[in-house]
Amino acid sequence: MKMKKALLAVPLSVSLLIPTFTVANAHGHENHSKGPMSAEVSNPAIDLRASLDTLLSEHAFLAVVAMQKGIDGKEDFEAAAGQLNQNTEALSKAVGSVYGEEAGAQFKEIWSSHIGYFVDYVTATAENNEEGRKQALAELDKYRTTQADFLDKATEGRLKAADLEEGLKVHIDQLIWAFESYRTGEYDKAYDNISEAMHHMFMTGKGLSWAITDQFPDKFENKSVDTPAADLRADLNSVFSAHAALAALTMQKGIDGAKDFEAAAAELNENTDDITAAVESVYGAEGAAQFKEIWSSHIGYFVDYVTATAEKNEDGKKQAIAELDEYRMEQAKFLDTATEGRLKAADLEEGLKVHIDQLLAAFNSYTGKDYPAAYKNISEAYAHMFGVGQSLSGAIVDQFPDKFAGQKPSDMPKTGMGGMSQSTNDAILWSLFGLILASATTAMILRKKATNNS
Amino acid sequence: MKKVFGGLMLAGLLITGCSAQEDTKNNKASESSETIKIQEQEKEVKASSTELTPPEGLKLKADTEGIVPIAIEIPALNISTEIEKVGRLENGQMGVPKGMDTVGWFSDGAKPGSPGNAVMAGHVDSKSGPAVFYKLEELKNGDEVIVKDQDGKALTFEVTGKEKYNRETAPVEKIFDYAYGSKLNLITCTGTFNVEEGTHEERLVVYTELKADE
Repeated sequence: MKMKKALLAVPLSVSLLIPTFTVANAHGHENHSKGPMSAEVSNPAIDLRASLDTLLSEHAFLAVVAMQKGIDGKEDFEAAAGQLNQNTEALSKAVGSVYGEEAGAQFKEIWSSHIGYFVDYVTATAENNEEGRKQALAELDKYRTTQADFLDKATEGRLKAADLEEGLKVHIDQLIWAFESYRTGEYDKAYDNISEAMHHMFMTGKGLSWAITDQFPDKFENKSVDTPAADLRADLNSVFSAHAALAALTMQKGIDGAKDFEAAAAELNENTDDITAAVESVYGAEGAAQFKEIWSSHIGYFVDYVTATAEKNEDGKKQAIAELDEYRMEQAKFLDTATEGRLKAADLEEGLKVHIDQLLAAFNSYTGKDYPAAYKNISEAYAHMFGVGQSLSGAIVDQFPDKFAGQKPSDMPKTGMGGMSQSTNDAILWSLFGLILASATTAMILRKKATNNS
Repeated sequence: MKKVFGGLMLAGLLITGCSAQEDTKNNKASESSETIKIQEQEKEVKASSTELTPPEGLKLKADTEGIVPIAIEIPALNISTEIEKVGRLENGQMGVPKGMDTVGWFSDGAKPGSPGNAVMAGHVDSKSGPAVFYKLEELKNGDEVIVKDQDGKALTFEVTGKEKYNRETAPVEKIFDYAYGSKLNLITCTGTFNVEEGTHEERLVVYTELKADE
């Protein structure tokens, strides 16, 4: 692998390849604490982590959706699979920007192969072909080794093949299980697994971004991906992006009257609980309860919209959109107040409008059978939430800097008191002893001389 | 305003996607009839879905939670003792355990068993005699270090190397850094005791990694 040379291709361009997400921003607010210890949610290293999290977790989501659509023989299968391939494209470009084009191409080949084996698995299942299913699983096993080997070499051993194989096994097994649960009608399990599968990728993103920033520290201003502030951003990214993903999918299932609609909706509500818990950890129980009420309301209005669509009720749709508009104000006001103006209501309303419009567009494209547009909208809605996570984590860290100060030691511990060790004192003693010995000898000689002379 | 009922209405949409007319009073009743319908549907699906056997031995969650360690055992050195939590001192140093026979875990850092470098420190000696990590240097590659949490859950780490560093130039950042795998680094003092500075001139770090499933 000719990675060494190629890396001069500047890993920084990773952040250029992935659209930067701007919603409301904590900017305009002075960054009080600068320097290496400052609790920042955005720097080249943490941004790389967020970018990889975006692509990797979206991969998991789209893979699950494509497998569901595949086994159901749904019309939007092609579009879902197409979006999944675009995700692979973006991921490979990111890898190429760090390790060179050749490595990027090699990554793409390996990565695409595992998507192919998942397709094989679904196809074999549809054909009731047990042998084919086993064959696909065996191929996935082989893929794990190849993929792990690639990343171990690329990161020069920072990511160990054995650890990677373990992580990849979890990824593969989660997707297989989500699919198996879906096809056998165990929808609650299926949706638990979707969330788990998306969340798992945030760990992969942290690991990979850590390895890359460790490998090319000067390209990332010597910043670390492993700080409490970075973890907060990733945690919020995870829950917010899962919201968008589940909302989009739930709306599809709703209009289709699908059997797994309730499980999808339940998972979406569980996600609301997760977001609420995150809000509670920062703003307390009362604030969290208020947040949950407001947040749940917008999910309700989306449901109204889906219902009105199903009933061909244009007034109902308009009504739902009006409610969503009102929601935006309320949600924005809540966050403006909670963050003490670090997030401005006007910016937030703007950001929320984007979120709402993306989900509505995704849904309308779906019902209008423009599936490629639907999945493009979903992908944008997904990525948008990473901007939300960045803004909110930025505001929180700025508001409660002490909570995110968590510093690592800069010096080694003092683990000894010298009782059993040779000490600098001992050394002096020894040299003194030497002197004494020497003088004693001299004295003896002198004495001897004296005796002899007497 | 139906904000509060957003979640409930979501459930109401289930069957047809267009019958969310029930008011909340009826909701419980309709939920249970929905449950029955779902069960019927599930039976239907299961019946129609052939005899394909779901794959076995799937691993659905990474074991990356780690543990909060309260005890440590190092059989090769006959060490079996308690763990204290330590932090970071004002001057930037890693804290040390109060006891001479206990081990301090840097609890603001990685947990043993989670990705990253968990770090523990123990004294090499007291003012008058040997302390818990007096013989740490004797550990060899492959020796085991076992840590346990309060429920008795044990994780076994394996020594992968050891290194002595000057106390002022030790690669502290690396020793405490994140890692994709689970590592546990044991630190003690070594070298000459500098009386003026009140500390040893060197630090010994024994590197260990989590053993694959036992």
